Amino acid sequence: MGAPSIAPSALQSFLGSTGSDSSQETQLLQLALQIAHNLRYQHNWDDIRIHYDSTTRIKSQPPIRPLISGFPPQRLYVHPDEQIEVLQKQKDEGKAGMPDLPREREWVLPSHLREKWSLRRFGEVFNAISTVPPQEDGEALFDDSKRAAHTKEGGDDSMEGAPTNKWRISQPKRLLLATLDDDSTVVYYIVHDGIVKPRQN
Amino acid sequence: MAAQAATPGIAEPFPIFALAHRYLLYDIDVVSYIRREYNICGVLIGSLPQAPQQNVFLGLPVELLPEEARLLAEKGVAHIVNDVVKHKQSFLGNGLSPEERKAYQAALRKQGVGAAKEATKRTNDRKKTALKKKLDTEDWNDIPEDMLRPKAGRKKRGVVEKTKDSAEASVEESDDTLFASTTDSVPSRPTISQTSSVAGSSTESEPYAVTPTTSYPPLQSAPSSEARVSLPKVPPSYPLYKHLHTEGYFLAPGLRFGCQYMAYPGDPLRFHSHFLVNGMDWDQEFDLLDLVGGGRLGTGVKKAFLIGGQEEGGEQRAGGNAGGVKAFCIEWGGM
Repeated sequence: MGAPSIAPSALQSFLGSTGSDSSQETQLLQLALQIAHNLRYQHNWDDIRIHYDSTTRIKSQPPIRPLISGFPPQRLYVHPDEQIEVLQKQKDEGKAGMPDLPREREWVLPSHLREKWSLRRFGEVFNAISTVPPQEDGEALFDDSKRAAHTKEGGDDSMEGAPTNKWRISQPKRLLLATLDDDSTVVYYIVHDGIVKPRQN
Repeated sequence: MAAQAATPGIAEPFPIFALAHRYLLYDIDVVSYIRREYNICGVLIGSLPQAPQQNVFLGLPVELLPEEARLLAEKGVAHIVNDVVKHKQSFLGNGLSPEERKAYQAALRKQGVGAAKEATKRTNDRKKTALKKKLDTEDWNDIPEDMLRPKAGRKKRGVVEKTKDSAEASVEESDDTLFASTTDSVPSRPTISQTSSVAGSSTESEPYAVTPTTSYPPLQSAPSSEARVSLPKVPPSYPLYKHLHTEGYFLAPGLRFGCQYMAYPGDPLRFHSHFLVNGMDWDQEFDLLDLVGGGRLGTGVKKAFLIGGQEEGGEQRAGGNAGGVKAFCIEWGGM
């Protein structure tokens, strides 16, 4: 009865723009958008882009799963060897503690808790992505002032063509597996494409 | 191999005994050898008969995982032997000729005599050193008095002060004589005990009854076809096990962390493990909840959760990355 008087939530209006048919493609897109929304407004990620191209290369399965890429507010992952190197450098310079490392663009793979996954599907996703997400690939999602501000102030660390961290390139590919539950909780796990020793956190 | 030259006792292929679907090793030399050379630890499962509930400080035999037994057999350094058949065949049956049997019994007796001799020698040595100590300190029973002496000295000093106060020298004298008499009285005792102990030890030793801990001297014949067992059946995680093993990881059973294996970057006595490992088929489906659970537990114990398996058609292009096995490591994202 009061349905029209309730204003749609921010997420709902955000998803509303994608169409309402219940094809699997739309569902996957909406899943990706919901994850992107969570990243943007709950975890303060910047410059979130949605990539269709990279995943169309997965030929074996009909569903085309869009991937997300973005900048976390701080560096998300530091390899233990890199950490040792950074700390050693700090020590040589007479400083203490971890410095603020430049941020890195991360791949995010949206998934739902009720999905079944297999090694093959992970293998396909990793085959489809590059080690570092391409800077100008994909479609910017939150085309707001934040993004503009970010590109202005973040000129030093996040620009394309900037020398990418050698650790990022030398290590196997990685992505952030975002898993959505029905209660819209999202959990994030880092998945490496190979044997990578654990962090000493 | 240089390794073989270093340990001449281990002749490859050595037998792994299959008994009731377990793969056992009874020889400590083999156990230490495969740990050193092949990064395989196995699990000690032997307990004392008197302590059936013992669950720490277990001893021989060592139980190998089917994967471990299979890996060794595939490498050609071991062969799987049906323990029961083999034992009946060559021990209870006519595996040994009368001469061989006699020789074996003689060897056992010789071992027993040697053990007995060594034992008596050891007790005699111990006695000798103990007696020497006794003679050095005059008497073993002297200790209490010895401990008393400095106290007495202190007392004496106190007494001296007292006597100075009271100017009575006779008290000090009597004090001295009192203590002197005690030290003098001591040496009478030890001589008796010395003689008695020497007399007690002079019995001749009998050969010890030796229970062999291994059955090899009579069982070292070449692998007979009857006792041979086909390669152990392994779970689908075997390709991943093998892959990690060739990468130099030590793998231990992962029950404690709810996974299939724990992967150590070196000997488990020196390193913490790096990964909780679950192997599966390339197309085997799993719940994301398993991944979340494994990843979270692994991160909680400073490890990563590792899943992997043989890529489809990976065996054909095995030349590339170690048998076409792919592995993925999962860590908590921290957000």
